[in-house]
Amino acid sequence: MLSTEMPPPPATTAAFNSQTANAVGSPARSRKSNKPLKVTRQDASSGPEDETAPLLRVDAATDSLPPAFVPLESNAYSTVKGLSKPIAEAQPPSYLSEVGPATSHAGIVIGLTVLALVVRLFQISNPSEVVFDEVHFGGFAAKYINGTFFMDVHPPLGKMMIAASGYFAGFDGTFDFKEIGKDYIAARVPYISMRLLPGILGCLIVPMSYLTMRNLRASTASSVMTALMIAFDNALAAQSRLILLDSILVFFTALSVQMWTRFQSVKNRPFTLRWWTSLALSGAAIGLAASVKWVGLFVIAWVGFSTVKYLWDLLGNTSVNAITFFKHFATLALCLIVVPAAIYMAAFRVHFAMLPKIGSGTGFMSPEFQSTLKGSEIKEAYAEVGFGARVMIRHENTQGGYIHSHKHYYPTGSKQQQITLYPYADANSLLRILPALEFENETSTSPPVTEFRQIKHGDIIRLEHDATNMRLHSHDQRPPVTDVKGNFEVTGYGAPGFMGDSNDHWQVELYDYKPEKPYLTALQKFRLLHVNTGCALFSHPVKLPEWGFGQQEVLCASNGKKSLTTWRIDSNENQFQPKTSVKVGYKRPSFLDKFIESHRLMWRINSGLDGTHPFQSRPQSWPVLARTISFWSSKTGPEKMHLIGNPIVWAAALGALAAYAAAEAVGAVLWKRRMVTAAGVLSGATRSAGLLFIGWLLHYAPFFLMGRQLFLHHYLPSLYFSILLAGVLFDGITRRAGQPAQWTLAIVVVVIVAYVFTRFAPLTYARPMSKDACMSLKWRKSWDWECK
Amino acid sequence: MEYPGQDTVGLRKRQQQLAKHNTASILDINAGDTDPLLFHDEKHRTGLRGGPGGPSSRYNRGLLPRTKQEWAIPVILTLLALFTRLYKISWANFVVWDEAHFGKFAGHYLKRTFYFDVHPPLGKMINGLAGFVGGFNGTFEFESGTEYPPELHYSVMRVFNALFGAAMVPIAYFTGLELHLSIPAATLMAVMVLFDVALTCISRFILLDSMLLFFTTTSVFCLCRFRNLQIAAPFSRDWWIWIFATGISLGAVASVKWVGLFAIALVGLHTVQELWEMLGDLKMPPAQYANHWMARIAALIVTPIAVYIMSFAIHFAILNESGPGDAQMSSLFQAGLQGNDFDRNPIELAYGSRVSLKNNGHGGGLLHSHVQRYPTGSEQQQVTCYHHKDTNNIWTITKAWGQENVTDPGGVDFVKDGDVLRLVHTATGRNLHSHPVKAPITTSQNEVSCYGNATVGDANDLWKVEIVDDVFDKKTTRVKSLTTRFRLRHNLSGCLLRSHSVSLPQWGFKQAEVVCQKKGDPDSLNHMWNIESHRHDKLPAGGKGAYRSKFSKDFLDLNVAMWTSNNALTPDPDKEPDQLTSAPYQWPFLLVGLRMCGWGDSAIKYWLIGNPIVWWGSTASIGVFLAIVGVYAIRSRRRYRDWDAPGAWEDFWFTGQLGFVGWLLHYAPFWIMGRVTYLHHYFPALYFAIIIFAFVADHIGSKLPRVIHVLLITFLGLLVIANFIYFKDFAWGFKTPAEGYRGRRWVQNWNIVD
Repeated sequence: MLSTEMPPPPATTAAFNSQTANAVGSPARSRKSNKPLKVTRQDASSGPEDETAPLLRVDAATDSLPPAFVPLESNAYSTVKGLSKPIAEAQPPSYLSEVGPATSHAGIVIGLTVLALVVRLFQISNPSEVVFDEVHFGGFAAKYINGTFFMDVHPPLGKMMIAASGYFAGFDGTFDFKEIGKDYIAARVPYISMRLLPGILGCLIVPMSYLTMRNLRASTASSVMTALMIAFDNALAAQSRLILLDSILVFFTALSVQMWTRFQSVKNRPFTLRWWTSLALSGAAIGLAASVKWVGLFVIAWVGFSTVKYLWDLLGNTSVNAITFFKHFATLALCLIVVPAAIYMAAFRVHFAMLPKIGSGTGFMSPEFQSTLKGSEIKEAYAEVGFGARVMIRHENTQGGYIHSHKHYYPTGSKQQQITLYPYADANSLLRILPALEFENETSTSPPVTEFRQIKHGDIIRLEHDATNMRLHSHDQRPPVTDVKGNFEVTGYGAPGFMGDSNDHWQVELYDYKPEKPYLTALQKFRLLHVNTGCALFSHPVKLPEWGFGQQEVLCASNGKKSLTTWRIDSNENQFQPKTSVKVGYKRPSFLDKFIESHRLMWRINSGLDGTHPFQSRPQSWPVLARTISFWSSKTGPEKMHLIGNPIVWAAALGALAAYAAAEAVGAVLWKRRMVTAAGVLSGATRSAGLLFIGWLLHYAPFFLMGRQLFLHHYLPSLYFSILLAGVLFDGITRRAGQPAQWTLAIVVVVIVAYVFTRFAPLTYARPMSKDACMSLKWRKSWDWECK
Repeated sequence: MEYPGQDTVGLRKRQQQLAKHNTASILDINAGDTDPLLFHDEKHRTGLRGGPGGPSSRYNRGLLPRTKQEWAIPVILTLLALFTRLYKISWANFVVWDEAHFGKFAGHYLKRTFYFDVHPPLGKMINGLAGFVGGFNGTFEFESGTEYPPELHYSVMRVFNALFGAAMVPIAYFTGLELHLSIPAATLMAVMVLFDVALTCISRFILLDSMLLFFTTTSVFCLCRFRNLQIAAPFSRDWWIWIFATGISLGAVASVKWVGLFAIALVGLHTVQELWEMLGDLKMPPAQYANHWMARIAALIVTPIAVYIMSFAIHFAILNESGPGDAQMSSLFQAGLQGNDFDRNPIELAYGSRVSLKNNGHGGGLLHSHVQRYPTGSEQQQVTCYHHKDTNNIWTITKAWGQENVTDPGGVDFVKDGDVLRLVHTATGRNLHSHPVKAPITTSQNEVSCYGNATVGDANDLWKVEIVDDVFDKKTTRVKSLTTRFRLRHNLSGCLLRSHSVSLPQWGFKQAEVVCQKKGDPDSLNHMWNIESHRHDKLPAGGKGAYRSKFSKDFLDLNVAMWTSNNALTPDPDKEPDQLTSAPYQWPFLLVGLRMCGWGDSAIKYWLIGNPIVWWGSTASIGVFLAIVGVYAIRSRRRYRDWDAPGAWEDFWFTGQLGFVGWLLHYAPFWIMGRVTYLHHYFPALYFAIIIFAFVADHIGSKLPRVIHVLLITFLGLLVIANFIYFKDFAWGFKTPAEGYRGRRWVQNWNIVD
């Protein structure tokens, strides 16, 4: 019998099973008759699924291949050392048949779940103080409950789940989670319930990893061992005991892996119920993962990569016609693109709906966005702007707010009154628009405003600060911070009885000036050019030092970026305003506008996280567990909580990665030297291992490209893949030794892992320990907790 | 369809045998083609019989044409290239565009004064040689737009550049032949290089680009030639010649501009693939395989590095006098230059010495302070490291608080190892200070500032001197000018004064950040300092010492400094980008042109713009190429056989890979570079895109009837030429008002007018 399985795919692609051969030199579709080869569908109900089984097997007996190809193919491989029979007849590794179909694992699953609950939730109330990033995520929960708008770098789903758990436990949103170590008990915060959500999800990854291992056709012993390695990892345990997103993220990642491996196990039974549910749930899980943290995008990439491989294999199956192919394609696109995208968008929709009021995040948003929030100070303003108007002028491109002044002076330069940008509309942001000074015989007069005269493109105006009567002024002095050639200081200048001078003169330049529309109106973009120096009123996201209250610097720039010299008036009152004037307001953004704006901002904030933190670490230090994170330490006692992995588990995971990579490299060389066949390289274990290895890589490698602040906990999704990899390799190596031996080995591993877990447990549970015990845990020099 | 890492040599051979039986390859022009119009030599035409690797295959074609007819095309191309590159080359008798830099650098070689620039030296040294030939004495300053003095034969210098530019054309033609393109397609490739307006224009001035492009084309040519010999006759004499030629050419291209590293990457990728395929050749004896490795290591790794290092060695050898670039280098290097005042330094450091302190980190600067303050942290006076010598680098060595009067008024108190002292910034009178406040950028470390004055201060102003070693006296206990390396440890907190190649933002004038490193590694060069300039009222000058810095250190110093300066060439986020810069996305679509000089109505004007057919066509061809690859991939997946002719697949794969990967390597990195980018950064990538264009045109043509194939390529060539004629004034210069060219503004953004 000759199947279409012809020359083996290269070992380098062993990561993903190539069901069908690459085409070079393969028996081609018959040139003379293009009719499809006769095929018989493999009996789907027969016995255990074999991953190497092609989707459809060609029955060679009825095939009309040109005879010339037959010797070619058999010759090609009869020369291979140690391979005496044609590759096509190579049987899948025999152990696969030992695994029974996925029958009831209920007992094991329940046992693992109970154990995980005990391990992970033990004394979850401890410490009863704010720990590490609970500062943020607890705080966000409070904001959801209060409905006040905030801005954060992470998508909203995880935070909303935490908020919901707090809400149902009766949290009223008054506690502010302001700093690590703040007491929960006195403030009556239902923090235990809030911790239980990540906690329980964290427990569920233990039985889930067991099921995933079963999907990957590992034996019961190996699967139980892997699940227990996950249960007894100190880092995963610590992370799932707190109000943090990572446990939720790892849960959805694990769920994605579970569903996708389930799909892999039924992929040769397309369009069956199990195929459909696996696919749809995979899509849902990856959507949920990405809605918790953007790291979830890596699991999408992983599934995507695997999907491309799936389609490529399908394409290589010449018995699959175009319609069937596109049916597959459309189904995959629906489940793996449309479903996750819909979930992700829905999370944002709910997020916006839950935060209707202004809050800490308001200042980040565009005025359009702000105007949708309850309590926003942004109101409608009269469209026509005339001399004598009292206006607020908003900077267009940064969210720095309005031109602002106050009775404080620059400590540098002219030492005149400060002009800044301030996000909130208060009385200090009100400016009066005055006409230009008139000069006659060396005296200057300020022409009075007696009637409504609209300001048009090219008009020269002065701006007087309403509260202090100082005028917006610029001159040949350098600005306080951005002391660069071509930049000039902008000040508030004036004195009682002093008319001012021509350095108070600014020319209005409409952003999109059209001769038929020469007038300045509210919400219209314009620039202000300083008449004497030609520079333009400018601001940028640079904060003034303490003397300027951290407000944004305003200056006059000669060659400033146009977008940073653009302003809009959005509050306009004038005693001479004609009755016919209409009011205009910012256009209300659609959901999509808000969605896009939020994402731009999240991206910007995320890449702007470039500060340094004492416990930050770079990716290269993660797999070797070079650095821990101090989560919390008691103010009084010796108790402390550190994020530290179980060194045995992490070493096993790292060893598995190295072993797999080495095996792949050696396998590739041997394959290249024709010393093994691709089928030999592609045993069942290595195929699963390849999938997991790529999962690990996709969740790890991208961090090297990120310049932002990174922490050890960013490695946890990657770690999950590498622990599964360790389990799969363990299974592959020990399988042939027989079940009793495998069980024995697995139990030995678990005992060691559990013992080490208990050694480090005080750091995980924030339990007291003696100084000696504490010191004895410092297995590495770089682990730098304090022992008291 | 094959992919890298997949060897089917055995299969392939059998397929070829089969192909003889089948007549499946009617479509493939290579298969039965013996048309002298399309293919150039006899061996090529008969190559089919031998199969790849055979003794008389197209892979070991002779290098040079043999008949008069065969000579005609390259000769005509070369003559035309010389004409387009040299025509009216001396017309603009003023400094055009970056001649202001590269002319000036040439002058430094002639004056032998040390200068600093972000580019490696080879191209600039060639310009220096050109200046030498032209009788230039190095005195002209090459101010942008100024008129050349009559005694300066600037046209000689330009001709040097133009010759490199012209040489690209025949090389492109021969490269096409080495790639086994048909003669018309190889000619088309050369014609596109020849008649591209931008490549013509950039070759006509005293710049680096024509040399960069020349060495890029030679690298590609050598690689193709080598690859053919690798198939036909490994380890033959020619094989050795061309593998080393490739290495030398790669060394040269990287020694002109760092962009050349992408060419090295391209050859590296090819080599890895080649060795991987060879690994699958079971007939090859291990010794032979090892020899292949050794040969490649010697020729393609060691040789380029040697050429690169050699260019720096010559650079240092020529520039033996003090010049504007001194401050970028270590103090000892500077001491080895002639013409500075280091011999006036007293030898040993004493209290009251006014000194500048040089950081020993690679590319480290001088400890600097100025009246501007930090906008963050303590908001005290900034302390930075700076590569320009001025009085703000001068510090006075002063006794610690409370010990001011210990000195004997008549004597001189030398600084000893372990002394605790103050460093007073001479210009502002403030003390070098550190405190537990976050540093502005590296926020995990402590800030260093200048604080207080002669009477106001605290224990945070005190620094402990820790001598590391001395060049001459290993056990010295006193600090000696230039030769002693020491650390400055903050006395109160124990942190170490550090400078590193982290630039401050605009408010710090992009100078290097200075921090106090907690738990600093004492062996790090970034924590070591030495005295560079030294003055003391009571100490005599030390005289000229016999200093000699190590070449390896100078080489590293300079390369690190180049890297740091290159990265600091970032656009100011506050400023509107100026008209000269452009973004990478604009290049393949030719959305920008570049005015190379003043735009007055009566001035001679040059406008750097590509030939739209060449640029748009080559960009489109990349898309077409990818589409073709996709189609073949799907077809092979569906078991269609497209590659029966011997060598056809290998040539397709090699040429496609060379062009596409070459293009990608020379283009994509600009997307992630933070530095400002210009239109001419695309030129090397353009060359690879041109290869793809000719290749794709030839490949599609080969599927068509022969007459149409030839007509198609001729048509494309004529289109290129027509466009060149239409746009030629921009490369050759024009003196009439730019307004007259308004019609040639094909893209809204082209700034030929307005």
